Amino acid sequence: MALLMDPGSEPITNDEIVDLEAIAALKESAAIELKEKGNEYVKKGKKHYSDAIDCYTRAINQKALSDPENSILYSNRAHVNLLLGNYRRSLQDAEEAIKLCSTNVKALYRAVKASLLLNLLDEARSYCEKGLQQSPDNEELKKLAKQIDAKKLEHERREAEVSKAVLAAKDIISALEDRQIKLGKAMYQELTGIKKPVLDNNKILHWPVVLLYAEVMSSDIIEDFCETDMFSTHLDMISLPYACFLVNVSLLNMFSEGSPPLPWDTDNAYSRDALELYYEADSGASFSKKEALNYLLEGTVASHLENSGGEETDAATRTSFSSGNGPKWVKVNERRTLHDILRNSDIIVPGIPVFFIVSKKSSFYRDFKSGNWSPPKIA
Amino acid sequence: MATELEELIEFLSHDSPPIKKAAVNIFRDYTGSEDGLQSLGKYSAVAVPSLCRLLAEKKEVSEPAAEALVNLSQVPDLAAKMVEMGIVKIVMDILYKIDCDIKHLLVMLIVNITQLDAGIESLLQNGDEKMQGLYIMKLVRSFCGSSSERKGDDPFEHVASILVNISQKEAGRKLLLEPKRGLLKQIIRQFDSPSPLRKKGVSGTIRNCCFEAENQLQNLLLVSEFLWPALLLPVAGNKIYSEQDTSKMPPELGNALSIEREAVDDPEICVQALDAIYLLVLQEAGRRAFWSINGPRILQVGYENEENPQVIEAFERVGSLLIQENGVDTDSTQAT
Repeated sequence: MALLMDPGSEPITNDEIVDLEAIAALKESAAIELKEKGNEYVKKGKKHYSDAIDCYTRAINQKALSDPENSILYSNRAHVNLLLGNYRRSLQDAEEAIKLCSTNVKALYRAVKASLLLNLLDEARSYCEKGLQQSPDNEELKKLAKQIDAKKLEHERREAEVSKAVLAAKDIISALEDRQIKLGKAMYQELTGIKKPVLDNNKILHWPVVLLYAEVMSSDIIEDFCETDMFSTHLDMISLPYACFLVNVSLLNMFSEGSPPLPWDTDNAYSRDALELYYEADSGASFSKKEALNYLLEGTVASHLENSGGEETDAATRTSFSSGNGPKWVKVNERRTLHDILRNSDIIVPGIPVFFIVSKKSSFYRDFKSGNWSPPKIA
Repeated sequence: MATELEELIEFLSHDSPPIKKAAVNIFRDYTGSEDGLQSLGKYSAVAVPSLCRLLAEKKEVSEPAAEALVNLSQVPDLAAKMVEMGIVKIVMDILYKIDCDIKHLLVMLIVNITQLDAGIESLLQNGDEKMQGLYIMKLVRSFCGSSSERKGDDPFEHVASILVNISQKEAGRKLLLEPKRGLLKQIIRQFDSPSPLRKKGVSGTIRNCCFEAENQLQNLLLVSEFLWPALLLPVAGNKIYSEQDTSKMPPELGNALSIEREAVDDPEICVQALDAIYLLVLQEAGRRAFWSINGPRILQVGYENEENPQVIEAFERVGSLLIQENGVDTDSTQAT
């Protein structure tokens, strides 16, 4: 028989007082019973965890126990929530338990675990320290402390790597701005993979450069074309079977001695003196600063920072010719440096610079120069 | 003596033009001699503001006033006081008035002022974010826009010396090297000028700027097209180079060396050029760029025919650095 008291009303008679005391005692023993039932459910295994939670919750709702006792209830519920993977709820319970009894080491332990699983490293550390204050020899807590330190270190290391990648990308963007070089969407990534320019210790740019033999659309990559190098230097190296230049330039040893220079060049039209180099002018739209940054961060540890969407213009289709007639080919004076060429206002670097090689001696040359030929679209 | 001087200085601001004119001419004569400067002593500082006011007046008065100021500014203490009084702004304002007819004197005044750090700072305007570098840009534009075509009429010729002065300070170098301002490019092109003063000034400025090679190599190398000719032509000797040599050079260098030319006869310019090359070659990327334009070959040829001992020494400095830093032999071009 439950007597419901209105809040604010007071017992008048002795009988009522006795009744109230009886009810309180009932509630108390109910709560204790529920707690023990909950504990048993936990022991019974996974299938009964939600029942355990239910018991603990009902026990708490009796509001009949002291703070330390309620603390244990919350702490136990936190434990089961942990087992169930409800980390948020577990943390809340553990925190409540700690509020009710700040020396509850088990609650502190569970708070640490839950925080760790939620990657709240600072909270985890704070609870762990409090726990070790209460119980300095607690091996479990000490283990957790080590885990937290390791995680923090890893986190910081990752952050440092990300900042470094972003900084490097920004340095390149500013270097491009200084040189008035326009960057646009990469065009031949299926040939090259993701390649990026690099700044050396003297803040000089080194580009990976693609050379396309237009006649057959076969390609070659110069891995490290320093912007102060002349084209002739690199062309010399492609055409000769041995190196006659200096340090730090990667060798392009396409040829072994004695074999024909290019396997498809049966007429030997592509001799050194017959080579001409061209780039396509006005070949698309240039990136905004943000797009350029995203492009440079692609494939790095910081790629998660790329904004999806943004104002990307459709530079992929190479149909934005200035004249509408066919691609506009501009010849490259091979005694110029890469930097000299890239800063022309009509060139947009498609990710990395791409140059087309043709031979004056080949019959293809006429088609090429007349503007009738355009590079096949590589999807 | 003292009271006469005081009177003289007072006359500098007299209402009557003939008196003013006479006074400023006498004052200018005083400043023209060592004794005169000494005897002016502490009155010099008092005279400066009056002289500055006269700069804005007619040539018959402004010219002697400017001459006097130029003389006074050779004394470091006086120059310092002038800077404190804001002379840089006063001079720049008058210099760029439409009908200024004492330009060359004002430029010379700035040359003297920039012998002092304080003068350089004042000219660079580093303290003022919006105006920073504006004076320098104006001066460089005037320097590069005018020329010594008409003999004796090259008012901005001495800007060359101003540039040498300011490039002795890091702040000055930084400003000159800033890619967006494009100052270095403009200045280097003046190297071709027939005026020896301009030539020497440009050479000295480039040399000074190369002290920034460690941190700003890219700003130097990216004007390679103009930089290398300015540095290498003076030390290339006067023989015509072979096709084999020039084919490995960029056209601006190769073409110039394929024809007959006069040798640069000022050894100081040669030494400055070689010093600048040394500084560039100290950096890896600078070395690489130098090799790629066939630079060492030019040094080799130039060295063979050099007779001046200081220049020979400078050649040898660069030569040994190149050998030391390059482990790999190239096919034919080892110097010395």
